[in-house]
Amino acid sequence: MPVVTVNGRSVHIQELNKEAAETIVLVHGMFSNLSVYYFNIAPLLATKYHVVLYDLKSHGMSEKALTGYDLTSMTNDLLALLEALNLQQIHLGGYSFGGLIALKMAIRFPERISKLAVIEAPDPNDDKTRGIIDEYSREFLEHYVENFTDTTKVKMGKRQMERNHRMYEYLFYQTSIKTDMEFEKNFFGSPAIETIKQPALLLYGTDSNCLNAGKHLEGLIENASLSAVPGDHNIPIQQPLVIAEALLNFFQEK
Amino acid sequence: MDTITTKLSSEEIFNLMKQFITEVIGEEFVEEMDITPESSFTKDLEMDSIEIVSFSEKIKAHFGDQIDFTGWLSSMDLDQLINLNLGMIISYIEECQ
Repeated sequence: MPVVTVNGRSVHIQELNKEAAETIVLVHGMFSNLSVYYFNIAPLLATKYHVVLYDLKSHGMSEKALTGYDLTSMTNDLLALLEALNLQQIHLGGYSFGGLIALKMAIRFPERISKLAVIEAPDPNDDKTRGIIDEYSREFLEHYVENFTDTTKVKMGKRQMERNHRMYEYLFYQTSIKTDMEFEKNFFGSPAIETIKQPALLLYGTDSNCLNAGKHLEGLIENASLSAVPGDHNIPIQQPLVIAEALLNFFQEK
Repeated sequence: MDTITTKLSSEEIFNLMKQFITEVIGEEFVEEMDITPESSFTKDLEMDSIEIVSFSEKIKAHFGDQIDFTGWLSSMDLDQLINLNLGMIISYIEECQ
């Protein structure tokens, strides 16, 4: 398993097509892991680009951490990862919470980011999405049991239930993730968002309760264009090829 | 792990896959399972996507460039991935050798 040490913790990464001239880094969302990109999206992007995927702290196969889930800490981690991989300038994409990390990265380190792709980033202050964590805490497990795991469309068995339950319990009751997210409530309202100048693609699901967040961002970011694709918040899982092609076209545009 | 140069029989591949699965999900779970070539990854073995990533890594580490396992998986849609079983992987590896 490829691992790099970032800010003193081990981070699981996957790299595809290391020989390519330009690099795309993709950030996954909360409760997820790099596999959201690994099977379909990353391989298509890797036909043209060096693609880097990584598991956020306490997610996937990266080391756990009790604190540091605010966007500043998360972007400190990403910057350190770029340093560790010797990447000066990248294209950056992020899904859901990873989309917020991507936005924050473009604000803090604009010289490092060429183009920005934001998939389904929620407005942390939106009534419908503000409680995304609380909503998860209520419904997360029920939803997972009743429905499907994120990419496999199959009811979870006992072992998966326990695994997910452990991650959930850890993130919610042992780490600072809840308070750290609460702290980011006014992220879309901060003037910093409007300083983003990179070309930005905003990909949202037509039936997603985050679509308004996408519209909001389109109004705030000068060079942003919103593209709505059929699906809800889970579009990278529902429509991986549509997402992959949209990303590839966007990153390739001159 | 060394990159192998000799061809493996389907039984040897099966045993190797069983070993990788055990390494990924842990011996205590594998003991309770009857792993056969018909075992599907998601339904029978209950592997989630990050575990399939680990499993792919082990195949890559073992077979090297001989086998583009991730590329093969990426050509599948969701339903095909769900129905993926050990036998399909064994045949794929046999073809690539």
